Amino acid sequence: MSYFSELERAMTFLGEKEDTFFIGQALIYDGTAQYKTCLNVPRNKIIEPPIWENTQLGMSIGMALTGKTIISVFPRLNFLSCAMDQLSNHLDKISIYSNGEFKPKVIVRSSIGSVKPLNPQAQHRGDYTDGFKLFCPNMNIVRLDRTEDIFPAYEKAYLDDKPSLLIEWADKLNG
Amino acid sequence: MKTLLSKQELIDFENEIADLFNNKMIKAPIHLDQGCEEQLLEIFKEIDETDFICCSWRSHYRALLKNLSPDILKKYILEGRSISICDKEHNIFSSAIVSGNVSIGLGIAMAYKQNKEKRPDGTDKRVWCFIGEMTSCHGSFFECLTYAENFKLPITYIVEDNGKSVKTPTREVIGNNKLPFEPQLFDDDGDTLEDFENGKVIRSSSHLYWFKYSFEKWQHSGTNTRIQF
Repeated sequence: MSYFSELERAMTFLGEKEDTFFIGQALIYDGTAQYKTCLNVPRNKIIEPPIWENTQLGMSIGMALTGKTIISVFPRLNFLSCAMDQLSNHLDKISIYSNGEFKPKVIVRSSIGSVKPLNPQAQHRGDYTDGFKLFCPNMNIVRLDRTEDIFPAYEKAYLDDKPSLLIEWADKLNG
Repeated sequence: MKTLLSKQELIDFENEIADLFNNKMIKAPIHLDQGCEEQLLEIFKEIDETDFICCSWRSHYRALLKNLSPDILKKYILEGRSISICDKEHNIFSSAIVSGNVSIGLGIAMAYKQNKEKRPDGTDKRVWCFIGEMTSCHGSFFECLTYAENFKLPITYIVEDNGKSVKTPTREVIGNNKLPFEPQLFDDDGDTLEDFENGKVIRSSSHLYWFKYSFEKWQHSGTNTRIQF
């Protein structure tokens, strides 16, 4: 059991669910560490949008408002920070401000950028887990420190009523 | 869709809410409509009951025209939720964040297209996203409008142009009297600049409607007296 294989198992599990859909950067065309973990997901269940983080997350929320469970993938937390409006002002708070009328189920997948073998420097390797928890107190936010945490965390995220942000360590994913 | 309210009934509803607010019955911001009754009544003739509408902080008229009952809407407002009216049964979503509804509406349209969602009459279900003219200058609007056009998604953005962002003249702070996606009226499709200036709904494409209107009766938030919050 490796970090990679557990992420692959989690994505395969989610990909087999009838109500799920994946949206994110480099999911159709290889370009990130997360790409290979999604190869078992049916291609017709994936959209690769332009690189526009805030719009991607807004689209994910909109799709989820129709009853789908959306897995929205952002390669690094630094990139996800560009979507902070949709993350904090919308995904985290829609169920509150709509008085429970809408509960968009979005599982946000992101990572702390790797520093080996290349160190991408300050804009690509941030661990902002605690900061995201402050901005999004109503979401499940889990940093996947241990391999054995991965599958249960995604299973819980799928079954839970609340939206989730699951944060991986890219260095562990790269092996 | 067949709307149940007339222009005067829309105006009367907002006057009643204003009275409730002035009598301190509402302990939250309210965003009252005024001046766009005829344009919205016209646009809602194209909207089906099964369609989705995405609104901003000013949504009372749109919710009423989507046949949310005035009593339920009043209840929501009394609960302090004028700023973000949401009702799942009537497919009404709102966001009080500028441009927040733009990409969310796009996502709903994406799902409608994927699921081949149909109205009862067999035509495609559609999303109708109401925004102000300042939002039309946002990067998010450029992203979503062009994506909707490129992928032929069933969504129409309606720009309600009162020329003001809160109290700030939008075109002054943008630095141009012509906003980026403002209707081009030189293509001889029957609409004139005079029509546009007089409030006619200009249908630039199936994805973009635009109308100007005058909003003078109320403050951006509240009634006649500004309350800082």
